[in-house]
Formats: sequence, structure tokens, C-alpha cells
Amino acid sequence: METEKNQEPFLNRAERLKLSKDELREMYKTLCTIRQFELMADKLYALGKVHGTMHLSAGQEAVAVGIRHATRLDDYLINHHRGHGHFISKNADINLMMAEFLGKEAGYCKGRGGSMHIADFSSNNLGANGIVGGGIPHSLGVGLALQMQKRDQICIAIFGDGASNEGVFHETLNMAGLWKLPILFVCENNKYGMSMAVERVSAKLPIAQRAEAYDIPWHYIDGNDLLTVIETVGSAADYIRSGNGPVFVEAQTYRYFGHSKSDRNLYRSKDEIETWRLTKDPILRFKNNLLENEVFKAEELVVCEEEAVKIIESAVEFAEASADPDAATVTEYVYA
Amino acid sequence: MPVPVIMPKVDMDQEKATIISWEKAEGDEVKYDETLLTVETEKVSIDVNSPADGILAGILFENGAVVPVATVIAYILKPGEKLDAPGHSAHKNASSPSSNTDKPEVLPEKSECQATPVAQRIAKELNINLSDVPTKNRIINREDVEAYAASLSEEANIPDQKSDKIAATPAARRVAKEKGISLSSLQGSGPHGRIQEKDVKLTIPDQKPTIATRDAVIVPMSSKRAYIAQKMQSSFQIAPHIAETIDADVSQLEAMRSRLNANIDPSGKDKVTFTAIMVKLVAWALKQNPYLNSSLIEDQIHLWKEINIGVATALEDGLIVPVISDADKLSFKEIAYQLNDLTQRAKLGKIGLSEVQRGTFTISNLGMYGITQFRAIINPPEVGILAVSSVVRKPIVIDHRDTIAVRPILNLTLSADHRVIDGVVAAKFLANLASVIEHPEILYE
Amino acid sequence: MPEITYAEAIRSALWEEMKRDERVFIIGEDIGRYGGAFGVTTGMLDEFGDKRIIETPISEPSIIGAAVGAALLGMRPVAEIMFMDFVLLSLDQIGNQAAKMHYMFGGKATVPLVVRMPSGSGTGAAAQHSQSLETLLMHLPGLKVVTPSTPYEAKGLLRTAIHDLNPVCFIEHKLLYKTKGEVPEGDYQIPFGVADIKRAGKDLTIVANGIMVHKALAVANRLADEGIDVEIIDPRTLVPLDTEAIINSVSKTGKLLIVHEACETAGWAGEIMAVVSSSRAFDYLDAPMRRLTGKNVPIPYNRVLERAAVPQEEDIEREIRAIVKGVY
Repeated sequence: METEKNQEPFLNRAERLKLSKDELREMYKTLCTIRQFELMADKLYALGKVHGTMHLSAGQEAVAVGIRHATRLDDYLINHHRGHGHFISKNADINLMMAEFLGKEAGYCKGRGGSMHIADFSSNNLGANGIVGGGIPHSLGVGLALQMQKRDQICIAIFGDGASNEGVFHETLNMAGLWKLPILFVCENNKYGMSMAVERVSAKLPIAQRAEAYDIPWHYIDGNDLLTVIETVGSAADYIRSGNGPVFVEAQTYRYFGHSKSDRNLYRSKDEIETWRLTKDPILRFKNNLLENEVFKAEELVVCEEEAVKIIESAVEFAEASADPDAATVTEYVYA
Repeated sequence: MPVPVIMPKVDMDQEKATIISWEKAEGDEVKYDETLLTVETEKVSIDVNSPADGILAGILFENGAVVPVATVIAYILKPGEKLDAPGHSAHKNASSPSSNTDKPEVLPEKSECQATPVAQRIAKELNINLSDVPTKNRIINREDVEAYAASLSEEANIPDQKSDKIAATPAARRVAKEKGISLSSLQGSGPHGRIQEKDVKLTIPDQKPTIATRDAVIVPMSSKRAYIAQKMQSSFQIAPHIAETIDADVSQLEAMRSRLNANIDPSGKDKVTFTAIMVKLVAWALKQNPYLNSSLIEDQIHLWKEINIGVATALEDGLIVPVISDADKLSFKEIAYQLNDLTQRAKLGKIGLSEVQRGTFTISNLGMYGITQFRAIINPPEVGILAVSSVVRKPIVIDHRDTIAVRPILNLTLSADHRVIDGVVAAKFLANLASVIEHPEILYE
Repeated sequence: MPEITYAEAIRSALWEEMKRDERVFIIGEDIGRYGGAFGVTTGMLDEFGDKRIIETPISEPSIIGAAVGAALLGMRPVAEIMFMDFVLLSLDQIGNQAAKMHYMFGGKATVPLVVRMPSGSGTGAAAQHSQSLETLLMHLPGLKVVTPSTPYEAKGLLRTAIHDLNPVCFIEHKLLYKTKGEVPEGDYQIPFGVADIKRAGKDLTIVANGIMVHKALAVANRLADEGIDVEIIDPRTLVPLDTEAIINSVSKTGKLLIVHEACETAGWAGEIMAVVSSSRAFDYLDAPMRRLTGKNVPIPYNRVLERAAVPQEEDIEREIRAIVKGVY
């Protein structure tokens, strides 16, 4: 696994990656905002305000923030259904996200999609997919279209470890490798596909080495280390944008909450979850780096954390004040 | 094997019959040819007799049901024999042909008919006795067996008819509702008596019915009534009726009738009625005027050699026309005997189909009700009908000196189909008839 | 008007649309040098090059998935599934992705995608290359389902399909590819949801699609000599369905027979019956509505069995007579 570049000092790395102090602060705030969104989601669920299920990404924030930082805002994003973090990273309007989460007409999808299907086509966010691996082949079409339209964006196809065992995963990698399409494949490996540990469902690990078979360069990285994500994805994006074809990045991470709301965590130990929380938490690690290297004072980061809480609280306020869709409109939007 | 009781077809154009009453109940022991039930066709009532000795079982239709001919309506079982659910044996086995495999092999019943191997196999699978399968061919083929199986499963479906719901198509219901017609008064021409749109339309009265909105006792039309309605309507619409009237002095006839009844049989069976005399005289007049004894069939006028005179007879629920065949060859007494017999049996509903068929001319007599003149509607395919009114004693001029005397005068009105009969032809017939009435001795000239 | 084949008509629509709009491209298996399994795209690789005639590995799910992705970026992909049976491989991409995106994303995504698929039996290709699955696709809200019966319709409807902003399943009966018909030169489209009265009549309405239109027509023309006057409605598009045309026709004739090759159970004939029986046409029905469909079997290989599995002219004739006479 490519990790903290063998103890290369944090500041050296930040400098090498040309990360300004403002950018570091902004990224910290985004990490906190994602975490707060997920915690609030869990809370709202407990309060009975959420109609359906949801898939929370607490513990995986660095992958989302890192990818976003290392790519362009107008690059295309195809996402899995644990995607709140990626939307927030991609500058989504959190009010509209929260409204969609609560199923309101004001939401991104007018309450038709919910947590699993948030999309924002105006920011080239092509939507989260409820079918595991369902979005992966769309990246082929996006890649082909970008080529045909002679544009220099890339397509970022994000999926989980579970999706890597779907047939379309292999079909897509094959065609992407064959046609050298501008696709960044990111496998966000949070160790479990629902209850199935990745070791129990994959013949050979890491997953990323499967890209080898399709002549696609690959990286297996520590997805909980923000700068590692930025560095790997950044160089991959450059490689792809230069017309060299796809790159595959597997980011190792961990989710704290269960798979969905019906999960009782029977397949893993509390110790395991606690160990990840205390020793490998992506936000904590980034925060410690920032404090230890005196990039920020503790109070400065507290301000970020408080801002994150406020953003989420006001989003809930906005969402709760929004109206439900009119039942009479149920059949609208079936056809364009 | 249970012996099926079939709704018989007794008339060429008959498609169905109504069950009037079951004389026997399920479980009754019956003898071969014993009457099981009475059914009514459009023309007559007939008894349906048992096809075998045994126990009556599995009655599929109750009184009042309208049943297509050739339909199984019940079964006769041998003692100890049990009936599967009616008609279901073929149906059931058709969907699970393998059900035979765990049964001991049953030798096919010996059949006089030959069948193709495929037909034999299918018949075995469907548990059908090949000897029951009708065929038009020398040997029974697959199609015959399948058609028979289909007919059995159709029969299995028929018990729906027992429902008190009326089978009618949506279109028939719509038209009936629009026109204020009660479906229960109609006979359906569709499968299993289903009322079709055209069945309703045929009964639509000419004037706009306000009937439905007014209080009334609704009397369902019997099949006999519906038949009369249909037949009279089509006659009146198709045949352009002309009518001519003549008066005749019946003094001679009355004298003759007294003579004929002088030695009457105590039973009254050979009592010569006024109508019987008219039959004989009309037959003579027809012989002089063959065009009145004809039918128009597909642009050809058929002048019948037989003179068969129908006598319209009122029943409680309609009208029946028993026929005196070869009336021109019979004596007054013979005619009287036949007419008395027919009339009596008609009133009991015991008249045979052949006795109401093949008429060539009809007489309708309302004299006994004091009617002085009326016109009748032709009974197709005949071309003429004679309306016989009451004999009225009235003063008339009897000679060229204007002597007035009171005489029994009979008014006769002939309705004739102008397509065949012109006014003069009709007039000649009436003149001949009047002369034979006034001078019956002409008969023997 | 020139007479061309059904296959040529489809090619001509593709050709003209690709000339007109550079967003249109074709993606599928063996569509380049081979010209497509049924030769529909013959010559197009030479004309348009491999960037617009995209030949794929045998990966049906991802062919449709790729088309969905391209459509999301404003392209106008026309995907070819070599045999309609293979649509079952692509069903997630068609049913969960293409069909649902516009709705699921609150009207913000559009998926202007055409999936062409040869359907039907009669070529001896047996169970996995002969099925008619239009009903399956009709059941997925968000899809449009088109079954052209003539070269004229194939071209006009395909052009409309390419212009449509929704995923359109374009179902071509294999036995029709070589049939000829008049096709006007130049630009024309046939709107979706407008049925065509292939034959006017007063005694009985037949609703049939694809190849069954031709079989029904042949029988109807024969029976006309006997005074049985059959009206034939070709819905042309099953989704959207021109219910008015069917209701009007049945209100006139009072009798309905639906003929399709797709198998019977839950086939679209039932849908038509439901439409009719819940409409004003119900009160004009003068016979039970009937359907004549493919049997509930996978299409067999043997010629005799294959023929027996789907409606033939003699079956249609028998059904018509039965309904008209009221003897079933």
C-alpha cells in the first residue's frame, strides 16, 4: 500500500502538493461538514424523520475530499450509493441535499430519489446509483462522449469493493483499457460489502490488481490519509487527461456505521470499529498533522468544526421547512 | 359409463329449447323411454324420454333454462355407478395426462369404429371413449377427438347458466338500457343463449318507448310468444298484404251441418264444426285457384300439389296452427275428426311437430267471438290467409225484384301476398268460395 | 415512391440521422466490418469511421451502460443488441438505469437512447435467439417501446426514436428485414403513440404488431370475399399506446381480437383488453375479447414445432371465424 511516503514530513508533502493554508483549512472544514452531515443523518433517522434507508460514509471522508481536491470541478462524477461525502466535496448545495434526504420537493431530485439517488447534473455530478456497480459502465459512455466531443474533462467512476465482483466491472475495465478512455476508476474499499468482508468475496487482493488484466495502471493506497489520496489521484488525473487512458485507484478505508439502517454489525467486532476510530480516523489524522506541524492553532480548527455544525443545522432547518411534493405530481418526470 | 341425456333437436331450424319442467328428479329410477322432462321449442312442447334404464343423475339445467340442442342435460347411471363431476372427466384429464400412468392399464373399450393411432392415444390420454366420438369420416381422427373433448369441456362450463344472472354482451346491455327493454324478456342467439346486440335491436318497438318509466306488470315473453312476434313481424314487413272482403249466405251450410251431425258419435269426436266445413270448402276453392296455394321461394313461385290447410287455434299463451293435410281429399267427417283431435291436443300442449308443419294456406276463425270483420296476417311461407267472421242474420235483397229476406250472412276477408297474388286473382278465389258456400252441391259436380 | 427493404429503411434512418447530427453514434457487437448480425449497418463503418460506429466486446450490459453514460452527456447513442433475447443480459442497464434516471433524479437527467433489437421466431434460431419480449419492456416505466411493421414505419419511427429524449426500445422482427415496402424519399418522421389503421372494416377489430400485422392482413383480405370485414389496427408503438384508436375501433365493430407473437401469459394482449374493458368501448362489445398469441413455451428449434409455437395465418382465420360466429 502506498501510504505516508515513508514518513516524509507533512509540511514537505503539503508543499510538494502545492496546498495552501487556505486550502488545508477549507479541506478540514469539508471533512468536518461531511462527518456532521452523516451524524445528523443518523440522528434524523433516529427521530423518525427519514422515510427510507441510508448509507453513511463516516470514516471515509478523506477519499471524497482528496479526490475532489485532486481533480477539476468540471470533471464528471459517477457515484455509488454511499455518496454524501462526494457530493459535499463537489460543492453541492447542502440545503438541497438535506431536503432530498428528507424527501422534499426542494431537494435535488424533488424528493423522487432520496439518499441513494442524489444527482446534480449542473455540476457534472451524474448521480449516485442504488444498483451496486450499476454506474460503472456509464463511465464508458461518458469517456466516449468526452472523446467524441473533444473535451479535456475526465470521468471519475467511484464504486465500492462489493461492486468489483459485478460483471459490468470487468466489462467496463476491459473496454476502458481497450479504448484508452479518460476514466479514473476509484474503488473505495471500506472492507465490507454489506456484511461480507472483502477477503471473503475476493479471490485475490488487492482489488486494484485486477486492473492489470485490462492493461490499466493501478494503485492501492491508504484512503484515510488525505494527502496520499490527493497525491495519487492528482497524478492519475494528469495521466488520464494527457490521453493515456484510464487509471485504477483502490483507496483503503473503513465505514463506522452499519451498511444501512438495518445493520446490527454482527459481522465485525466493536473492537475493530474502535481501533479504526481511534487510530486511523481520517479527520483525526489530518487534524493532528495540522496541529503538530503548527499549521493551525486548535481554536482555528474549532471554528471550522463549529461552522460545519452550523451548515448542517441550517440545512436541516431549510429541509424541514420545505414542502413535500404534491401527490398529484407522482407521475411527472417519468418521460422527458 | 353414464348415459348422457341430450337436449334433442326435433326441428330443422331449431337451435335450442327451453326446459319447461322436469318430471323426474335426481336419484329417481327411470325406465328406458320414460318421460324425464318436457321442453319447449319455438313451435311445440315435446317430452324428452330416458335413453336407458337406470337412475337419473347430474341434472345440469333447471326449469326455465334455454339449452342448445345436442347439449348434455343429465345422465342416466347404472345401479351402483357414480357420476364424476359433469363433463369434467375429459377436461380434468386433459390437463394432467400423466394421471393415467399410475393406474392399471385399462383395455380400450371395444368400439365398432376405427380410429387413427394418434386419435387412440389422445382419446386414452383424455379418458374419452372412442365410441362416443362423432366423426364424419370413415375412421375417427385426431380432430374428431379434440373436437369432442372441447365439446365436453364446453359442457362443463355450461353450469354457469344456472346463475340467475342473464348472459348478455355489454353491447346488448347498453342497447337494452337505452331502449328500456328488459333483458329477461329476450332470447339470446349467442353461445349458450347469450343475448347479443342484434337480439335486443330486433325487439325494439317502433314507437319510442315511454314504457320503462311507467308502472306496469312486466310479463316476460315466452319463447312461443317471441316466435310469433318475430314471425308475424317479418311476414307483415316482407309480404305486401292486400285484403278483400266478400259476404256469403250460409243458409245451405247450416242445413248441411245439421245433416252431417245427425248421426254423431257420442264422444263428439266427429262433430262437424263450422270451421271443419270451411276447411273443406276452402280446399275446393284453392284447387280452382292454385296461386293461392303457393309459396314464393327465392324468386320462384312454388304451386303446391298438396292442399294442407292450417287452422289458427288460440291457446292461453299464444297461437298454434295445426294442419289438415290433403284437405281436398278428405270428407267433412274426416276433416272434423282430425280437426277436433288436433285442437284438443294443441290446447294440452301435446301436439306433434309434424302436425304443425307443411301448411299451404291458413284459416283463422274468430266467428265464435262475434267478430263481424277482421283481417289476418299471412302465415309465411304461405301467400294467403282467410279471416272467417261471425255469421250474422241480416236482411238482404234476395232476388231481382228487390225482395228482402233475413239470411245468415258470413263475412270472409282474404289477406294475400301481393308479390304473388294480384287483386283479381284474390277476387276470383273469394267469388269461388262464396259460390261454393251458397251452393255446396258444386262440390260434387 | 421507391421500394426498399425493412433493413434498408432502418439503415437509411441511421445514415441520415448520423449525417444530420454528429451526436448520433452506433454502439454494438459486430456492427462494423460484419455489418451487424442482420446486415443492417452494412457500409456504415466505411462512411462514418470507428469513432461513430463503435464495435464492442461481447458485453451486453456494458453496451447499454456505455450508451446511458453517453446519453447523459448529450450524445444520441443507438445501441444494437444482436438478438432481443440478450436484452435479458442488459436488463439492469435498461430497466434500472436508463428507464429510471429521468424520474429518480427529479427530471434533471435525460437519457436519449435508442436500443435496437431483432426479435421473433421463424429463423430456426431456437429458444435463446427467437423470443419476443416487448411486454417485459412495456412494464418498465420510463421506456418507450416501438414495433415497426413495415419499411415505411421502420424508418419514420426510428428517426422519431433518435430525436426522442427518452430511452426507446426499437424492436425489429427478423423476418421483416427482407420485406419490401414504399418509403418516401427525404425527411419524415412518424410520431409515437399514433396507431395506424392498416385495414378498415366493420365486423371485427384486430390489434396486431410487427409481423402479425402482415399475417392478419393476408387473412382479412381473404375473408373479405366471404363478407367478413376485419379492421386491423397496428399500434406501432406499444408505449406510448394509442388507446383512442383501439377504443374507437372496438366501439365500431363490437369485437376484438389481439394477435401477437409474444407469449400469452401477461402478454400485452391482456393490457389491450384491460384498456378496452375499462373504456366506453366496453358497452359496445358484442363478444368476449379474444387473444391469439405465442404459446407459453420457449421457441423450439424444429420447423414444425417453431411454427406451432406462434400464431399462423390459419390460426388467425380460425379465431376470426369463431368470434364472428360466436363459436369458440
